[in-house]
Amino acid sequence: MTAELPPFVPGVFQAGASGPVLLGSRCGSCQQHFFPACELCPDCLSATSTAELGAHGRIYSHTVVRTKPPLGLPAPYAVGYVDLDDCGLRVFALLDPALVGRLQIGLPVRLAVAPLGTDQHGQPCLRPYFTAEPA
Amino acid sequence: MNDVYVIGVGMTPFRRAAREDLAGLGRIAALEALRDAGLTPAAIGGGYFANVLGPQLTGEVTAGQFVLASIGVRRVPIVNVENACSSGSTALWLAVNGIRAGEFDVALVLGAEKMSVPGLGLLRGGSEELETQLGMVMPASFALRAARYLHEFEVTPAALAQVAVKNRRHAALNPLAQFREPVTLAQVLDSPLIADPITRLQCCPTADGAAAAVLASGRVARADRRAVRVDAAVLCTGSYQNPTDLVRWETDRRGSRMAYERAGIGPEDLDVVECHDAFTIAEVLHTEALGLCGPGEGARLAVEGATALGGRIPVNVSGGLLSRGHPLGATGCAQLIEIVQQLRGAGGARQVEGARVGLAQCMGGDQSGDAKSCTVFVASR
Repeated sequence: MTAELPPFVPGVFQAGASGPVLLGSRCGSCQQHFFPACELCPDCLSATSTAELGAHGRIYSHTVVRTKPPLGLPAPYAVGYVDLDDCGLRVFALLDPALVGRLQIGLPVRLAVAPLGTDQHGQPCLRPYFTAEPA
Repeated sequence: MNDVYVIGVGMTPFRRAAREDLAGLGRIAALEALRDAGLTPAAIGGGYFANVLGPQLTGEVTAGQFVLASIGVRRVPIVNVENACSSGSTALWLAVNGIRAGEFDVALVLGAEKMSVPGLGLLRGGSEELETQLGMVMPASFALRAARYLHEFEVTPAALAQVAVKNRRHAALNPLAQFREPVTLAQVLDSPLIADPITRLQCCPTADGAAAAVLASGRVARADRRAVRVDAAVLCTGSYQNPTDLVRWETDRRGSRMAYERAGIGPEDLDVVECHDAFTIAEVLHTEALGLCGPGEGARLAVEGATALGGRIPVNVSGGLLSRGHPLGATGCAQLIEIVQQLRGAGGARQVEGARVGLAQCMGGDQSGDAKSCTVFVASR
């Protein structure tokens, strides 16, 4: 059961009402969002709290890595930067390996979570990635 | 504040599987730099040793003291420096500031790397960084810039690839370069894709090698007619601002602007440039950040020959990282050495005629679509 697999690292995504959402931080004082999550706002050093960053966005840039993949990822695998709709952040992310050959800048994508590669101990784990929005 | 000059340089060939170990490579370059400066070890007031992978690959720590003691540099302050690909140039920056502050009059800066080891694989950030756990590898970080660049400026992959052809042509004129056989545009484009659109011949090779420089205050350098003056030495760090613009590199631009301001010159005053062409797209973005051309025009410089030897502003006449090779800790020193040789008129077959003002730009590390470290040096005679 995939549901029993651990996340690749804790605190990067969680289940939302309509699928997984990406987690980051929000500054309690200046309200900026951050990804990856951080404990202190780098501008005002106020404490941050965990914030949902949403699940939808568009591809800003993408590439397919064709060398021997790290972390038990598939060969080839795809990564990119995604501009998130809700918070305006541009986040580095894995992209659905099944999208190789169909990746395009501007493509609308949504977050998915599935078994993908291995964790630091070489064990299978869940990883978040962006896949194409249903047509 | 003391003026700072480069009065001695030395480097090993950059190549795969050098016979020498890390210390052996370092000794060769450092001794050559000392001889070039006409100094004995007793004249050295401070030492800086740049190396990246030693602690990880062979467990070396405080390697700088070990290497420098073996060529007689003892008792004085010695600092080991790691700033990824810009370790060597960061060590130079420290030495410049040590001399400017009056801490000592002469410093020896040595960058060395031994990275021809089985199974090294692609370089990545630390395992604690989330991007690493999401599959970020060095070629991908630049491929993402390249893909965005091609998209925004309607540039072809062939235009990017031309940078590799140009720098290989330069390397043919550099006896110390790793790859000296010319390559054609078709060979660059047809080499295996590493991370789309970057092909293998658009990635710099790993190498073993060492490069060293002796820096001195004006007091000491006054008698040296070959001395090259350091007009600006800038080290800055990424802002990690989000959203980041992958093709208008703010950190690169900020570092360049600071260097020009401090040197009191502009890009139009430069005769020769070495920049951190770890990948073809990197040279293109750096030439734009340095103001050698406008945004989106960088790829054209190589295509039109402006950045080739004999062109308007030759870039990476040493062959650059792409063809000279990239022993991480040594690269930043090797770049400044090339500028010093050019300004001395000792560039041999690759001499830029009448070169009087040169610039060396380097970057290291990658985080949140930004460089962790950026150095820019301006030097003149």
